[in-house]
Amino acid sequence: MSVKEENIPENEGRRDFLKQGTLFTALALTPVSLLKAADQKADEKFAELFEKVSLRIKVNGKAHELFVEPRVTLLDLLREQLALTGTKKGCDHGQCGACTVHIDGTRVNSCLQLAVMNEGKEITTIEGLANEDVLHPMQAAFIKHDGFQCGYCTPGQIMSAVACVREGHAGSKGEIREYMSGNICRCGAYPNIVDAIEEVHKSGVQV
Amino acid sequence: MRDKSLLKEDTDRVDGFDKVTGRAKYFAEYQIPGTTYGVLVPSTITKGKITGIDSKAAERAPGVLAVVSHLNRPVVAGYETGKDQGVPNNMMKIFYTDQISFNGQPIAMVVADTYERAVYAATLVKGTYAKEAFETDFEKNLSKAKAPKNPAQASYLRGTADAYKNAAVQIEASYTLPTETHNPMELHGILANWESADKITVYAKTQGVKATQGTIASTFKLPLTNVQVNSEFVGGGFGMALRTWPLEIAAIIAAKQVNKPVKLVITRDQMFTLAGHRPYAFQKVGLGADKDGQLTGITHEAWGHTATYEDFTENVVSMSKFMYNSANVNTTYKIVPLNVGVPIWMRGPGEATGAFALESAMDEMAHSLDMDPIAFRVKNYTEEDPEKSRPYSSKNLKEAYKMGAEKIGWSKRNNKPGTNKDGNWLVGYGMSTGVFNASRGRASAKGILKSDGTLLLQSAASDIGPGTGTGMVQIAHEVLGIPVSKITFELGDSSFPTAPSQGGSATLSTVGSAVSDVCNALKAKIAEMATQSGLSASAKFVDVLKKNNLPSVEVTMESKGGEEQKKYSMYSFSIHFVQVKVNPLTGVVKVSKIVSVGDSGRIVSPKTARSQMVGGAVGGLGMALTEETVMDHRFGRYVNNNFADYHVPVHADIPEIEVVFVNKPDPYINPMGAKGMGEIALIGFSAAVANAVFNATGKRIRTLPITPDKILA
Amino acid sequence: MINFTYVRTTTAKAAVGLLAKEKNAKFIAGGTNLVDLMKRGVTAPDRLIDINAVPLKQIELVGNMMHIGALATNTAVAEHELVKLHFPLLSLALQAGASQQLRNAATVGGNMMQRTRCGYFYDTTMPCNKRAPGTGCGAITGYNRMHAIFGGSEQCIAVHPSDMCIALVALDSTVVLSGPKGERKLKFIDFHKLAGTTPDKDNNLLPGEMIIRVEIPTNKLAAHSYYVKVRDRASYAFALVSVAAGLELQGNKIVDVKLAMGGVAHKPWRLLEAETFLKGKMATEANFKSAAQIAMKNAKAYKENAFKLKMAPNTLIEALNLAKSKA
Repeated sequence: MSVKEENIPENEGRRDFLKQGTLFTALALTPVSLLKAADQKADEKFAELFEKVSLRIKVNGKAHELFVEPRVTLLDLLREQLALTGTKKGCDHGQCGACTVHIDGTRVNSCLQLAVMNEGKEITTIEGLANEDVLHPMQAAFIKHDGFQCGYCTPGQIMSAVACVREGHAGSKGEIREYMSGNICRCGAYPNIVDAIEEVHKSGVQV
Repeated sequence: MRDKSLLKEDTDRVDGFDKVTGRAKYFAEYQIPGTTYGVLVPSTITKGKITGIDSKAAERAPGVLAVVSHLNRPVVAGYETGKDQGVPNNMMKIFYTDQISFNGQPIAMVVADTYERAVYAATLVKGTYAKEAFETDFEKNLSKAKAPKNPAQASYLRGTADAYKNAAVQIEASYTLPTETHNPMELHGILANWESADKITVYAKTQGVKATQGTIASTFKLPLTNVQVNSEFVGGGFGMALRTWPLEIAAIIAAKQVNKPVKLVITRDQMFTLAGHRPYAFQKVGLGADKDGQLTGITHEAWGHTATYEDFTENVVSMSKFMYNSANVNTTYKIVPLNVGVPIWMRGPGEATGAFALESAMDEMAHSLDMDPIAFRVKNYTEEDPEKSRPYSSKNLKEAYKMGAEKIGWSKRNNKPGTNKDGNWLVGYGMSTGVFNASRGRASAKGILKSDGTLLLQSAASDIGPGTGTGMVQIAHEVLGIPVSKITFELGDSSFPTAPSQGGSATLSTVGSAVSDVCNALKAKIAEMATQSGLSASAKFVDVLKKNNLPSVEVTMESKGGEEQKKYSMYSFSIHFVQVKVNPLTGVVKVSKIVSVGDSGRIVSPKTARSQMVGGAVGGLGMALTEETVMDHRFGRYVNNNFADYHVPVHADIPEIEVVFVNKPDPYINPMGAKGMGEIALIGFSAAVANAVFNATGKRIRTLPITPDKILA
Repeated sequence: MINFTYVRTTTAKAAVGLLAKEKNAKFIAGGTNLVDLMKRGVTAPDRLIDINAVPLKQIELVGNMMHIGALATNTAVAEHELVKLHFPLLSLALQAGASQQLRNAATVGGNMMQRTRCGYFYDTTMPCNKRAPGTGCGAITGYNRMHAIFGGSEQCIAVHPSDMCIALVALDSTVVLSGPKGERKLKFIDFHKLAGTTPDKDNNLLPGEMIIRVEIPTNKLAAHSYYVKVRDRASYAFALVSVAAGLELQGNKIVDVKLAMGGVAHKPWRLLEAETFLKGKMATEANFKSAAQIAMKNAKAYKENAFKLKMAPNTLIEALNLAKSKA
């Protein structure tokens, strides 16, 4: 069921439907095709029907038409439903930056984004930063400067680093450090990461 | 390790491409059809008994397959062999009884078809409890301390006890280190898949695939060969993945119950309760010296906490026994059982805790003597290990002191505290020494030379971040001369030849030796084949294989150290220098410059070695300035169990870090002459910061972390 | 988290209408605090009304008033040329908060609605009058290092967590609200409230109201403004104490001054008495010290936050010094 605008009927939600205490109210609003699908295990299927909403989203250039629960975060959608596991879960509360992705070109923590908030948006993850087997200059710089150890925070660091340069926040080591502070690296590769970002910025290469 | 052609330099990390592209797969990222999601239900009491688990609502919730607890779990063969038997290390048996020993201990696991459904259903499970009085406050329970089982760890005496009390110059001080939590970036958990009733494959986050295999096999009474553990990439460990945690067993039990693969990824707050921590420690140090600065007595007493249900011990006081030349040394170490999850070694482990105290005390003594802290250490330098009365296999610390002092600008340090300023900020310099056992254990490796010119190496080693594969490839390259790009080292698979867990800075020495031996054996074999087939002994292996019509030649062998380990004391050493700036108004401490010197034999892989030292300094800076796991003892619950309130250093905290290596091969330890450095990178660092803060302000802070409030106090 | 229904809306009027229809509905904009709270079970709305498409992102000078829409992101405000030029204090305060990723998502309105970081508020098994009225305050006799020294009540000593709001309070801002009964304006200093006997309420927003924009009058403080945030690490941490200071100087004489403090109270803490003392006086270390003394009247510490009694006045002095010396 798609999310309508402000003229949405009162009782489209599952909990509304449960509150009304009758199945018929819900049935009246449900397309026939979906009802057929709900033949068996009625409870379960109804739960799905009334809890999921449609979502059109582009990830790394690929368009997806999805049907998701509103409570699904963008991070969990990427990792658990789209098998894009390059984006990492480090804290799930916006406190570490491992889940950093670009939404319409802006870096954000995907763990605090409900997926449904991104209708019509274009998401870029680490998998979409460069073409197959060609490294983005930032990825190459991270390898050159050894900007990682265990590698777990790395996709988030790189997505953040690319944005940091694009934003114009890579003018000095001090500025880079401040604007990269939302990405925690427990292995402590910080100085190497800063070197990588500084080099990419100074090279003037298009990121 | 897919495509090394994109690596520009021989010293680049061999897994760099996978890590920067997001292709490196960590345990939770393997796709097994039909995977279900497990979520733990933690106890909300700290001690007592579970009187009931109401799981009805959860079981009715959409997508829920099971709510597993001690009330309904399947038979776990290893649980049935007696109270403390069957499970290695007397590990807490999860879902075994109604007993609760710490807050957050899992009482159940919900398994559902989607992650969101499992998370929600877990909130519907309600435990009821019979609460009992509990103890979590370390300082209040010091009197309940007990000696560890190992007498050598419990106490030590050389010469006269407490000799410092008779010295011309004496210092006596107490040091406190709060609980710290490892907090690797990757959350812990496991992906468990029973292939059949008695055969299981797991994707784990572990520092030792063989250790994990052994624990699972004995817990479920399976043959080792029926337990396959995969762990190619590990998102940091710092010690917390050195054992199998009960939560991993919980997921394996749940997978058995639902007969589907179960993926468990715990939450960040559960990382504080279920996956270990560095224990709270209290230490007393007494130092005595004559007026010229010769130490005459060292007394070091330490207490650390453990759990009520398992003992955890570490080597807190060891450095005091051998680091400096003192005829009289006595140490004690005791543990205090508390109602907390059991601790586990955290980077540098007990040695880092101990070095904070000893190296702070050394600075206090140097100040009392009005001596330069380096000069004081050199005065008490030992060429021979005074604890074991035998020579060090190699020790180049005098040279290292010089190298570091020059790099940090030690000459700008004023021995009188509080006299050096930069604008309104006070400037201080501090240094400290770090030391950790350098060992060589037992490991096996397989090497396969192929006619396509490549070398494949395999060993059941792990890489939690230091760059194990990169180091091994370097070692093989040095022995065989094959280009780095043609060598692959595979690890993290329990079916590979045995290797020890990655801990105690021993991987490079131990597994590296096996790789070196295997490569030498391959070399000999090729030479032999060459002569036998009429080629010159120095013929290229590709030609030898072709001549013999062989696709490959393979060697597997075990490697271990010999008598040299008994003849010499083997240690890696480090020296840390820091410059700090302290704002006397706000109490803010900024570390403005770091120089770390490593004396750990020959450096095999320069780029990753430097990174490891840098990482240790960052961890040490956290220990010194920001990290503290805080518990509310009224509830037995942590109150800062997240990354916003448990402060791991961020980019903005870290200045330029200069790493210097002595880089002289150790002649005895192993074929490479290389010693480990994972621990020394951090050990002692916190004392260097505390010493620099004293130099800047005249304030001696003996309780970590050195937060702004302590500067203002 | 519990599942909920989700609806998008494109006008403020519709948003307010939707909010009125469901008792337990909430607006969602950046979501950086709300989603976090929902994950922790601190709040569990039945419906989320996504207001991101409502056109409230404007940042513009209207006469001598800066208008900033409730949905302008923290980054957009912090980096806006007009804001940097006229209200560098606001820019600095915003940049001192959170991380760039969070600032990119977080909005002005959401920042105002940000809830406390008190650990007892976040842990649903512990007592907290703010989260669950009547259960007691975990912090008063517990871990209270981060907590209030001003205006605390016997029911709650949590502190307001925003940096942006400290600057907005110092800058005499006004907030424009829209509700079922139409629009109203509220002085921003009266937007947040002290805990008192209703710590569950952070602010004086009426049921069904929506934040539309904030208005800031222009001033002559831009040349001498500074935001000092003292925290446990150099970035990406909440304040132990923060100070927003703006000075209008003629030579070394203080013509006008605005001061507010963060990390010390349940709301952004304006220091009006200290301002009154400083007005007309010379910008000297001695006067700054006296002002700091005045600012600390009625401060009360708890077991673990006594250091704030020293840190707060010191930070005020530091902020005044830095504001004064700023080129």
